[in-house]
Amino acid sequence: MSEPVVQIRGLVKRYGDLVALDGVDLEIRAGEIFGLLGPNGAGKTTLISVVTGLARATAGEVRVLGRDVVADYRFTRRQVGLVPQEINFDPFFTVEESLHFQAGYFGVKLTEARLTELLGALDLAAKRTVSARALSGGMRRRLLIAKALVHEPRVLFLDEPTAGVDVELRRALWAYVRTLRDRGTTVVLTTHYLEEAEALADRIGVIDQGRLRLVEEKAALLARSGGRSLEQVYVELVGRKPAVAT
Amino acid sequence: MISLGFRTLLVKEIRRFLRVPGQTLATPLLTTTLYFLVFGVSIGHQLREVGGVPYARFIVPGLVLMGVMQNAYLNSASSLFVMKLQGTIVDVLVSPLSYAEILGAFVLAAVVRGLLVGGITWAVAGAFTGFEVAHPALALALVALAAAAFAAGGVVSAIWAQTFEQVNFFPTFFILPLTFLGGVFFSVRMLPPGLAAAARANPVFYMVDGLRFAMLGSSDASPWVGAGLVALLAAGAHTVAYLLLRSGWRLRG
Repeated sequence: MSEPVVQIRGLVKRYGDLVALDGVDLEIRAGEIFGLLGPNGAGKTTLISVVTGLARATAGEVRVLGRDVVADYRFTRRQVGLVPQEINFDPFFTVEESLHFQAGYFGVKLTEARLTELLGALDLAAKRTVSARALSGGMRRRLLIAKALVHEPRVLFLDEPTAGVDVELRRALWAYVRTLRDRGTTVVLTTHYLEEAEALADRIGVIDQGRLRLVEEKAALLARSGGRSLEQVYVELVGRKPAVAT
Repeated sequence: MISLGFRTLLVKEIRRFLRVPGQTLATPLLTTTLYFLVFGVSIGHQLREVGGVPYARFIVPGLVLMGVMQNAYLNSASSLFVMKLQGTIVDVLVSPLSYAEILGAFVLAAVVRGLLVGGITWAVAGAFTGFEVAHPALALALVALAAAAFAAGGVVSAIWAQTFEQVNFFPTFFILPLTFLGGVFFSVRMLPPGLAAAARANPVFYMVDGLRFAMLGSSDASPWVGAGLVALLAAGAHTVAYLLLRSGWRLRG
């Protein structure tokens, strides 16, 4: 088996007395879609934040393609793309400018071909010269994805990408995530919608109160659960029902 | 070698303030021009020369420095704080940019804005009082150093601040009073002994006085005290800003 894209060992993250991550061990395999499930406050975003450099671990080790995310951050951050949970945009700039700047931060000169490809893939071509402030919520979400992909990362972290997104856009985003995986991008997706994890993920992890309760192939998990739905398995692990996609 | 990431952040920061020229360039231009017209031209006619220099000309270095300090500070402080507020700081924090590159880009963009405002102020004043500068290289060096010092101070303030009110705390309660009491509009020789001593305890006085020497060729104190203080302030502010960025305090979880 090839080396994992992401290796997490004994990861602990504390905020004062609050233990957000409590000794997490996890490996993400190359080319998979890994669905990280858990209720609000379980530690999903904290886990992603430590890998992408937005937060610092209290203890433990995180490696991307075998390199430490702190000691070798210049290398590891070039391999990683992040779509944050909260929509953000810079109202001073157009869609095109935002993408050029984001590529530049990663030391990449954005070519016209790559720009056109990204805008087309995310249905933003008609908005190329429009200010980010004039975009709808769904378009801003797609711009975030384009920004995260602009430097062609080996692994893409999507933090609750479809929270508050309408059904049509959700389906379109799912299709695009599968396309990315088929092209070789590893995808780590956090969600509290079981439907989303069931539709997309190759493997599923369930995290609650900072601890990984389960990591398993989705197919094996569903087969092993003896006809029970993913929701029943989740309720057994977490003790409460998941959020429902609307 | 200058990295593409650094150049990109620098260009983005410069374009940001150029997108709102009414706020970032025209407003300070109007304000300092009004200072010049009121204190320099109208009231200045009632005043004699100060140290052999016409009053309208005497106040130009202080007005230039005031514009430079305020705008350099505001540029880095407001830009970084708004990025924190809007969440777009994430774009920079997940990138491979080093802390020195991030600090350098914010400071340099703010220096550009400070120098633009200072240059415009000087040009407007020059139309009334003439464009002669006694020591141009020293004047440019002092102004650039002051801009860098206050730009780094703006970065510190933006990291610390959690509300807009806190961003405005430093310019309102420190820069403005210290500038006004720092001899922009007067010479310490015009003050009674007690107030003169107080003015000499104000670091901004030495900065204004140093620039006055560089632009007009005369000053109350040694210009090298001013130059030394600005250099010290710049070094201190950059050190604190760098350490704060590296610590991740109020930026990284």
